[in-house]
Amino acid sequence: MQQLRAWIRKQLPTDGLGFFVSVLMLSICSFALFIAAVNRNVPEPYPFKFPANFGNRFIIPADNPTTKEGVHLGRMLFYETKLSANNKMSCGTCHEQKLAFSDGRPVSLGVDNSFTKRNSMALVNLLWVRNFFWDGRSPSLETQAVFPLTDPHEMGQSLEVSVLKLSKTKNYPRLFEKAFGIPKISPQLIQNALAQFERTLISADSNYDRYLAGTYTPTERELRGMNLFMNPPSPERSLRGANCGHCHGGPKTFKELFHNNGIDSTFSDPGRKNFTGDSADNGRFRVPTLRNIALTAPYMHDGRFRTLEQVLDHYSDHVQESETLSTFLKGVSNEKNGSHLSLTGEEKVSIISFLHMLTDTTFINNPEFSNPHLFSKK
Amino acid sequence: MFLKKTLFATLVIQLFCVVTLWAQTESTLAISGEVSVPLTLKKSDLAAFETISHKVKDRDGKEHEFKGVALFELLKKAGVSNGAQLRGENLVKYVLIQAADGYEVLYALPEIDPDFTDQIILLATEKDGKALENGEGPFRIITPNDKKQARWIREVRSIKVGFAKE
Repeated sequence: MQQLRAWIRKQLPTDGLGFFVSVLMLSICSFALFIAAVNRNVPEPYPFKFPANFGNRFIIPADNPTTKEGVHLGRMLFYETKLSANNKMSCGTCHEQKLAFSDGRPVSLGVDNSFTKRNSMALVNLLWVRNFFWDGRSPSLETQAVFPLTDPHEMGQSLEVSVLKLSKTKNYPRLFEKAFGIPKISPQLIQNALAQFERTLISADSNYDRYLAGTYTPTERELRGMNLFMNPPSPERSLRGANCGHCHGGPKTFKELFHNNGIDSTFSDPGRKNFTGDSADNGRFRVPTLRNIALTAPYMHDGRFRTLEQVLDHYSDHVQESETLSTFLKGVSNEKNGSHLSLTGEEKVSIISFLHMLTDTTFINNPEFSNPHLFSKK
Repeated sequence: MFLKKTLFATLVIQLFCVVTLWAQTESTLAISGEVSVPLTLKKSDLAAFETISHKVKDRDGKEHEFKGVALFELLKKAGVSNGAQLRGENLVKYVLIQAADGYEVLYALPEIDPDFTDQIILLATEKDGKALENGEGPFRIITPNDKKQARWIREVRSIKVGFAKE
């Protein structure tokens, strides 16, 4: 120690204060270097933003926390055509932001030029969804992603091939390292990154949200539609309603439910029964979110209805009986002893004007959700 | 003789297949979570428990007689902490009940325990002498002291016992 001090004194100015300042500066510099080295590969937590009335009932898997770096990688992968067998399709092909991440087709066209079985679902507020797809067969966003990526009628490429293709690029190994701390790409990490990005697709700035926050005044027609939407009909008390909110209610206009909504009396697609094996689930499908519903035509699991008018006509006048028809659609009518809901034309128009209140232009124009590859080419 | 035997065997196998298929599509009730014996019950399994009935007003405003078994007895069979064990951390256990359509309700475990309450919460299978219909059965919870019937959950598929983690 004595020798070291002597040596340092030789190198540095000899007065005491100078020595002290030099040691202090050296310490600060080395500490900063140490911190920088330790922090180099720690991704930053992603801050979710949503209104308090959406609630916190969601689970993010402990082994896949949402981080800024993970979300960025997920967004790159979401729009990555290398993940498809023909290098032409990405998740974004059937989930277009301008259509609230749906594709405007009854069913979608895959890499093999054949059609998918069911309608491409809008990707909205997935943070609060616990069972994915029209039949709820997938328990997490991480596991869900495997289906569209590998289905021969969708993107049609094994995850192993995707890993190989991405590993050969200049960019991706670096992005995986930033997001997950390791440069080795794996099927699980592709799924994890996609799930992280999808969790951030939050739509919470529609006129309905603004109305709930007290910053938007609905028109008379919208208000009439909202009341019809929320209230059950009660002809005995002369109260008219459409009771949509029973299954589509709450501030998120989403409840995690599966129902047979009477569009068929026999089922070419058994829906949830395929997954549970229970005959009581025959013809049951997810009750989808109504967020941005005006943008996500056509409607139902097979995209049979082109317009919201057709959807309203169905619920009002054409619900079909079957063994598994939802009890909430049986014997619900605006007429005493009526068999159908029987809404008037004006009532249907009002409900549709309320449904347009659920369109969120901030969401469909949010640059954080757009195709990052297009941006970098510009 | 050989032909007869073959035909008979084929018939038995076909019957077996039909029974298996039928068994697969029958609704079952799963009890899981903080239990010592997870259970998967068919309606016929409930015959082993005492039958209890409640005459109560349902949502339609009319009185109905519901028959079934005490929810408590099923939980006891699954080894859920009860009676004298319901103390300390066991007092923050909950019972999450899920229906076929995804609808869910929750009870605190002591709400179901006879040491805490005289109310017998029923897992009903019959209404007015008939098996519960599609959309309501085969299993439905009846909680007589709940004025609002929102927790009288229909089409019960699973009962999960858990610890409040906060």
